Amino acid sequence: MSAAEVLAAVLLAGGCVFFVAGTVGLLRFPDVYGRLHAMTKADNLGMLLVCAGLAVLAGSWRATFLLVLVWVLGMLAASVSAHLIARHARREGGAAGTPSGAPADPPGGAPT
Amino acid sequence: VNVSLAIDAVLALGLVTLAVLVTSGRALFRDIVLFVVFGLIVALVWARLGSADLALAEAAIGAGVTGALMLIAHRRLGGTTTFEAADRPAPPRFALPVAILVGSAVAVIGLSALGIERVVEGAGAAAQARTGETGLRNPITGVLLAFRNLDTLLEMVVLLAALLGAWAIAGPEEPDPVHRATRDTPLVAALLSAVVPLSVLIATHLLLAGTDQPGGAFQAGAVLAGCGVLLVLTGTLRPAAAAGFVTRLLVVAGAAAFVLVGVGAMAFGSPPMTMPGGWAVYLVETAMMLSIAVTLTLLFARSRGLRGEER
Repeated sequence: MSAAEVLAAVLLAGGCVFFVAGTVGLLRFPDVYGRLHAMTKADNLGMLLVCAGLAVLAGSWRATFLLVLVWVLGMLAASVSAHLIARHARREGGAAGTPSGAPADPPGGAPT
Repeated sequence: VNVSLAIDAVLALGLVTLAVLVTSGRALFRDIVLFVVFGLIVALVWARLGSADLALAEAAIGAGVTGALMLIAHRRLGGTTTFEAADRPAPPRFALPVAILVGSAVAVIGLSALGIERVVEGAGAAAQARTGETGLRNPITGVLLAFRNLDTLLEMVVLLAALLGAWAIAGPEEPDPVHRATRDTPLVAALLSAVVPLSVLIATHLLLAGTDQPGGAFQAGAVLAGCGVLLVLTGTLRPAAAAGFVTRLLVVAGAAAFVLVGVGAMAFGSPPMTMPGGWAVYLVETAMMLSIAVTLTLLFARSRGLRGEER
């Protein structure tokens, strides 16, 4: 394995760790806000690391630019959805620490 | 251990598990979410099989737009999330025999398919050999727009029929509460200002790329429809009671352009549905993309037309 491949493997594995942690948080945290907190970590850092790993593997500026675009768009969609879901939960009276206000019908539409 | 075989095995197992979960679930909302996940896994499977075109179409239409349609239908049905035991009708007594019959038929066909020798000189090989004559370098687009374009035309007609059917059974308009929650936050406008132009850009790219790379009218139309769904959800596009002339034109554009080009070719002595050149393919594909996008957006908005935001 070349140095670039090792670097890519480390970045991809790191990204997967964030995704696993985010998923565990989504399943285990007690309320909407905690779950959102866990998911946004996966969306932001996990996807950044995966995109960075793929960019190293691809080794071209064009692919890197497209991957950065993917990451920015994903983050944009994730932040706005998280904001809308959290606000909906708060308005529906879901207090922190209770599983109420579950995001059965997030106003942001399809989950990201 | 063969890594790619392991990935395929995980995908196959996941597909079967998800299929069972989707169909046996008791919570409608959960089933819809699982169906979307199922669509995404199917897209991954197509990607693993090297069918980027199908993977794109499945992810955009099968998982994305269909998921959005089912979620909005679920909301309009009153958001019931669980079935009561009493609501579930008892399975008809033919269910088990039919299931066994169908299962064995699938097994027999599958087993006999394993033994079939690979046909080298099939229609696929002939199509691939002559793709160049269509002026298209993507054989998928060649099949969709040139070799088997009657099928593609009928798909457009099916989409049109679905919209007409939805219009026929749709009840009177109700004010839809979907958009209200999103109007007083600046983030939504910021998201739209980034996503809408990019959707148009990506759709155009997919349409143009379809001639020599994966892509085409269906993928491009689905991306635009996703953009339309977002605009409807955020209240930027509002349902209108009547379809205006432009809406009607856009809805029939795909089928109409196809028929006009296909029948027009006969006037010049070509067989029916011949694409007279690359320009015709672009014309028909653009019209199809617009029809697909507008039809799916109208189905999502449950309306006959769309109008701009009230200011």
